[in-house]
Amino acid sequence: MMAKDKYTHAIQVDTTTCIGCSHCMKVCPTQAIRIIDGHANIRPERCVDCGECYRVCPVDAIYVRDDELKVMQEFDHRFALIPSVFIGQFPAEFTTSRILQAVHQLGFHEVFEVEHAVDLMKAEYQRQSDKLDSLKPRISSYCPAIVRLIQVAFPSLTDHILQLKAPHDIAANYCKAKIQNEQSDVRKPGVFYITPCASKIVAAKAPEGERESPIDGVFNMNSLYNKVYQILVSDDENQCRKQMADLSPDSVNWSLSGYERKYFNGRALAIDGMENVLEFLEKLESGQISEIDFLELRACDQGCAGGILCPGNRFLTVERLESRQNRLEVLLKLNQKLNNPLMESASELSKNLSTDPILPRSEMLIDKDMETALQKMDRLKTIAAYLPGFDCGACGAPTCRSLAEDIVKNKASMSHCVFVQRIMEKNYKLSPEQAFQMIEKIWGKNRLNKYVDKNGNIDA
Amino acid sequence: MEMQFHIEGGDFSGAGTASSEVKKVLKQLNISPMIIRRIAVALYEAEVNVVAHAFSGEMTVNIESDKIQICIVDEGPGIEDIEQAMQEGFSTASDKVREMGFGAGMGLPNIKRNTDEMKLSSIPGKGTTIEIIVKF
Repeated sequence: MMAKDKYTHAIQVDTTTCIGCSHCMKVCPTQAIRIIDGHANIRPERCVDCGECYRVCPVDAIYVRDDELKVMQEFDHRFALIPSVFIGQFPAEFTTSRILQAVHQLGFHEVFEVEHAVDLMKAEYQRQSDKLDSLKPRISSYCPAIVRLIQVAFPSLTDHILQLKAPHDIAANYCKAKIQNEQSDVRKPGVFYITPCASKIVAAKAPEGERESPIDGVFNMNSLYNKVYQILVSDDENQCRKQMADLSPDSVNWSLSGYERKYFNGRALAIDGMENVLEFLEKLESGQISEIDFLELRACDQGCAGGILCPGNRFLTVERLESRQNRLEVLLKLNQKLNNPLMESASELSKNLSTDPILPRSEMLIDKDMETALQKMDRLKTIAAYLPGFDCGACGAPTCRSLAEDIVKNKASMSHCVFVQRIMEKNYKLSPEQAFQMIEKIWGKNRLNKYVDKNGNIDA
Repeated sequence: MEMQFHIEGGDFSGAGTASSEVKKVLKQLNISPMIIRRIAVALYEAEVNVVAHAFSGEMTVNIESDKIQICIVDEGPGIEDIEQAMQEGFSTASDKVREMGFGAGMGLPNIKRNTDEMKLSSIPGKGTTIEIIVKF
């Protein structure tokens, strides 16, 4: 069974800013980007919202579609769900309590830290590792970009993904249940998550394995950071309440790389960074890796601290979170007891932890019909033999191989290749004018005109 | 569609090239992910067998609309007792090979488990031929 063909993406291209430089096309892990009419064009069926393209864009033409703060207004009780990496963006002089307080002032009724849900995850991981069957390794469902990468590029591994909700979903369920118990007059509670990345926006808008996400809106961490910083610098320190040790010390690091795996019994690996993940999954899918029980995979270097919407430096963030863990450990020793409010509803929340199975997507298929697909594969081989094989990208596709695929899928032609063009011109199969039109179709009109900028606009 | 691969005896780091290439093609055809996984595992095990035991081998892969047929012919010591070789845990791998994490005696049984048909023939002193079929 395959996943439904519906696509929601947070990663978007602003074609008025895009100069069609093809940097993004080269780094896309699923080869989802082509250059058409002088602009990057993301194929929705292949995009996994990992944001690799966002990182390399030299003109900020790739943007993340998030919610505006005003979407909160239609809700009468508003929770801000704050991941610990958000706290880690700020210099150590600002305490966690002050930062939470500042978020509160942006128009929320309550603020709640996502990592409260981690204690529940830890218990569930123990349970999952105890009932581990032959389907090894189990892959963490934490990173939505990884889940989508597996669906699109490693479809045979989808059933390895744990059918487990993410901490922010569990925290959101907790918030909603809590307010309904405490205040019966609240009609429409809203939970808003501050995201370090694009894929978590998509996970909230179009969840996999769930019909609906309990998250009502997702705000970009980068813009929230600026708003909160302004409040912090103009704030009076003394009106802040004292911080309680209500988070398990190591829970604050759950979103970083290497902490999740500690709670899965057996041989567990933590792999971060898209390239590293791709290399490992490739080996795993080829049957070359066995005997591993658990894989914690994160699309970003250093896990969520390396998220594309984190304004701070990922290494500083990691250091701050680790020192917060140490402070929480000291506090815990003093207080002797942890007061995680979420764990009071643990048994209730545990009933709603699992998701439906994650289904593969069929985007890699060259044709649905087997006979046709085999014919096309043969054609692809022949075409690939004609192409030069150094992946210059001048055809508007990332590699010669992907151009060959586009050709057999009728999305491009042989003459897209500038080298094939030379041969066709030599053999009088293509006129220089036709060849030039072809280049214009890919890279945009007037691009090679010296009085025109890279966007095709005539210089003033 | 036909694909061919050369496998070099002793090239442990190169083992997996063929299974990876074949898997890439299968992923683009409308084949159930579970079946692709079975084929990849069987192919990798077969590759490792050649690398660990033989001098060299040739792999021919034939993909048709309803099945995949793989034939691996190696030049090597061959197998004395095929029935014994098929038993789980039986292995003639050297200590050196075992130290590298191979040779647990699960290779052949694993290939059998993951395929629909498996034919193993061998001439001791000359080499081994293994033919496997997985239906889509």
